[in-house]
Amino acid sequence: MTDDSCSGLAGWRLALRLARRELRGGLAGFRILIACLMLGVASIAGVGSLSQALLAGLAQDAREILGGDVAIRIVHAPAGTAELSWLDEHGAVARTIEMRAMALADTTAGGLTLVELKSVDDAWPLYGNLTTTPALPRAALFERRDGAWGAAVEANLLDRLGAGIGDTVRIGEARFQIRATIDREPDRAGGAGLFSLGPRVLIAGDALPDTRLIRPGSLAYYHYRIRLTDNADAHVWTRALEKAFPDAAWRVRTLDNASPQLQRMIDRTTLFLTLVGLTALLVGGVGVANAVNAYLDGKIAVIATLKCLGAPSSLVFRIYLLQILALSLAGIAAGVALGAAIPLVAADLLQGYLPVAARIAIYPQPLIAAALFGLLTAVAFAIWPIARAGEIPAASLFRNLVVPARIRPPPAYIAATATAGLALAALAIVTSRDAAFAAWFVAGAAAAMVAFRLAAAGTMALARRIRGIRRPGLRLALAGLHRPGAPTASVVLSLGIGLTVLTAVALIQGNLSRQITEELPADAPAFFFIDIQPDQIAPFEALLSSIDGVGKIEQVPMLRGRITALNGVPAGKAKVTGSRWVLEGDRGITWANAPPPDSPVIAGEWWPADYRGPLLVSIDGEVAANLGVEVGDTLTVNVLGREFTATIASLRAVKWRTLGINFVIIFSPGPLEAAPRMHIAIVHTDPAVETALERAVTDAFPNVSAIRVRTALDTVNGIVASIGTAVRMTAGVTLLAGTLVLAGAVAAGHRRRVYDSVILKVLGATRRNVLTIYALEYGLLGLATAAIAAIIGSIAAWAVLEFVMGIDSVWLSSVVIATGLGCTLATMLVGFAGTWRALGHKAAPLLRSE
Amino acid sequence: MKAETEAGAVVTATAAPPMIELTQLELHLASAGGEVNILRGLDLRVEAGETVGIVGPSGSGKSTMMMIIGGLERPTGGSVRVAGRDLAGLNEDALALFRRDKVGIVFQSFHLVPTMSALENVAVPLEFAGRRDAFDRARAGLEAVGLGHRLTHYPSQLSGGEQQRVAVARAFATEPDLLLADEPTGNLDGETGAQVMDVLFDLAERHGTTLLLITHDDELAHRCGRIVRLLDGLIVDGGQPA
Repeated sequence: MTDDSCSGLAGWRLALRLARRELRGGLAGFRILIACLMLGVASIAGVGSLSQALLAGLAQDAREILGGDVAIRIVHAPAGTAELSWLDEHGAVARTIEMRAMALADTTAGGLTLVELKSVDDAWPLYGNLTTTPALPRAALFERRDGAWGAAVEANLLDRLGAGIGDTVRIGEARFQIRATIDREPDRAGGAGLFSLGPRVLIAGDALPDTRLIRPGSLAYYHYRIRLTDNADAHVWTRALEKAFPDAAWRVRTLDNASPQLQRMIDRTTLFLTLVGLTALLVGGVGVANAVNAYLDGKIAVIATLKCLGAPSSLVFRIYLLQILALSLAGIAAGVALGAAIPLVAADLLQGYLPVAARIAIYPQPLIAAALFGLLTAVAFAIWPIARAGEIPAASLFRNLVVPARIRPPPAYIAATATAGLALAALAIVTSRDAAFAAWFVAGAAAAMVAFRLAAAGTMALARRIRGIRRPGLRLALAGLHRPGAPTASVVLSLGIGLTVLTAVALIQGNLSRQITEELPADAPAFFFIDIQPDQIAPFEALLSSIDGVGKIEQVPMLRGRITALNGVPAGKAKVTGSRWVLEGDRGITWANAPPPDSPVIAGEWWPADYRGPLLVSIDGEVAANLGVEVGDTLTVNVLGREFTATIASLRAVKWRTLGINFVIIFSPGPLEAAPRMHIAIVHTDPAVETALERAVTDAFPNVSAIRVRTALDTVNGIVASIGTAVRMTAGVTLLAGTLVLAGAVAAGHRRRVYDSVILKVLGATRRNVLTIYALEYGLLGLATAAIAAIIGSIAAWAVLEFVMGIDSVWLSSVVIATGLGCTLATMLVGFAGTWRALGHKAAPLLRSE
Repeated sequence: MKAETEAGAVVTATAAPPMIELTQLELHLASAGGEVNILRGLDLRVEAGETVGIVGPSGSGKSTMMMIIGGLERPTGGSVRVAGRDLAGLNEDALALFRRDKVGIVFQSFHLVPTMSALENVAVPLEFAGRRDAFDRARAGLEAVGLGHRLTHYPSQLSGGEQQRVAVARAFATEPDLLLADEPTGNLDGETGAQVMDVLFDLAERHGTTLLLITHDDELAHRCGRIVRLLDGLIVDGGQPA
């Protein structure tokens, strides 16, 4: 062989020829490598494809979701005559009003529940169709018959009220006959949002006044959806609208942000799931490295022979690189195919949960990205072992069966590994929808890998130091953790990362659930009542006081206002470091004589109880810091079109989790009292009288809506639990990758374990002895991994809870212990199964000299 | 055994049983090309304390016979009694315990556990036997074969001769009644092989161990008290004690 034939293009050709010859041996040793890459690539490709399919669905259905080409929302009051006539002149308008109300069944059982009421006019919906069961014409659905208007309701309302189609319910002061259940309400996702406190009830716009629910200050949302005349540009139209009504306090949306919440949710979920997929791929990378190592272990004689015959290191490197690449491509291709098919299954599963239908298609971009991720991972993890095998001198290859040679690959290969790693990181950041978050993830992943590597080294060092163990099974098992060639490092790293994700997720979810339900203060109120009119306050309090079992009642006035300026600077231009939500849209505001409980003044002073001077305001301290304002600065709010400027008199430390009534912004009494308002109340009561109290209030004040605190919290808790389950399932992908690596390590060690167990049996070990040794060895390995993962996972969960969510975290030992024990047991079983297979081998054929 | 005393009285005494007693031992294996007869009804008797060299051409059945004596292979016919035990009645675990207590084996390919140090390799059978002094004895054993300075080395860090000496120390660690050695110098050069054999014979003599040595080396075979010749699955010479 000449230098020429082994280098350059000719070298690659020769390498390809030799690689093909070697691959004839079959793929048996590479199942794990292929599976690892397939799993990671499939996760990323699947998440990407599903996300694209949903976003495509969102874009395609944008008109339906938005309900028009442009959608305008105003809180509290309808648009004025001038505005309405402008809208009518510039397109077709559909008017709907949404609010919460109480529905009381006219049946003997007489169920009572909070509903999300929506009144619609004849023009609604401008796009898409309302479908109901039974399918009825609009008039038949909503018209007034025998003194009762018609209503279409969400099916679960029937269960809650114990009513059926044809029964009547009372909402406010009007009676409605349930004529149909809603199958599809086209603009649901673009309206009140994804979170609702009760079932939907659709009624005709003409029926709403009869309910007498709309009163000054009631929390009603007025929607105007507009279909533009042909070819009108929505943005040009919007600018014209803004020009015509520069001071209008409305929210305007166009097709490109038909449902920002949904879009944001899809974006965030995609980001999170892609990173989970990437974690699985990184864990799979460890499996790739293990598989390559194991393969090359079996090829030592071949490599030695090739080198003896004159093959230079570079040729050996190319031969094996080509083989690994070919096999990796097989895994990647399988992963891409699987990933492309994931939306088919997932879209069906998600249908009930998302208000948008996925558009199933092949989306090349996420598939290409996933394939690139897979290829870079394979290259990054395979170069090192291949380059090392190429560098081992031929003579030493024959003896280097167990002790890994402490040979570093030449700098060029180290640089290639680093480049592949950096390219992987860059790809993760570039393809992410949130580059900063992805960058943090990359840094975190790198740190986690280093941490696990160190932890594994620590475990091995500890195992080496433990002495004086009398039981041979335990001693041998412990020694198995630090022996040369032991899989400790790779198993701790790969299984540990999966387990860490799972532990952290379980802890975060556990803490959130605990926060929502278990930590509910003992004196938590039973009800929030909203939409109490000022003239109803006295009779409302009197009614409640007359019911036995009702405890403390607190009520405050509430208005809606929008912050328009900070120190005279328009809110849109103010430089803020956080809490931007305070400036976006309407906020609930109030006035008070005295500071609410649980919110001590931390700066400035609260106004005297009888203060009637110029308007002052007290703000939550944290929000003030984020908005860059302090005591003495001014704040301007727009309440129903009127601007009020107040001087900041004090800052408060608001404790939000007490479930009392509190506001970010509290004004001094006086100027705001003239504005239309409603009152909200919280009521403490004996659980036994909750139903009677709810009924009594609804009977006496049909316009007042009751929100049961426990039900609302259960709803939130249910959402958190569903999210937790989904996240745990995806974390399971990472764990599956870890398990694959473990299985790979066990499979790779099979030859060695067969040999060891035969020798041990020759030396007098019974099958039970051998099984005990390996079960203990893997049990210890699982235990060590679980312990490390518990520590790192707990720290990660604590950091997320404390710093990202701002929640005091509690270490839930049962969660961590259950996760850890599961891991230990699973590891033990995998090791046990591998050993069981090894024990079946006959001794004699292995012991004979060739 | 009967013996006549000086007084002329006839005394009946039960002598120690033979260390190895093979009777009509057969091993047939089915293969694609038909049945292969590896052992064809051989008889062998070895008394306790004997040193026996087994010779014969390749394929004559030497190693198979030794595997059967060590309980590592089961015959298809005949009986095997070793150290007074009929091996036919023992299951796999009982055979393992039997080896632990009675038999040491030295292989041509050493067969050390590659992931264990020299000391651990020698200590393992003692650990299985529940000896609290396993490591002390292993250390002493390695020192006895001249490897006191190689205790923590792994097999791959040892030369062939050193590996085989570790294997010898391991085989003698539990002070077995019977030592089986299958071409122990087959993978070693002449001088190294001779050193290993010196150690092996010396230990066998000191412990009074029965030694069964398979070898191609006539000179080595002649260091044994008796030579047994195998040919084509049968013993053709030296099957019974002189």
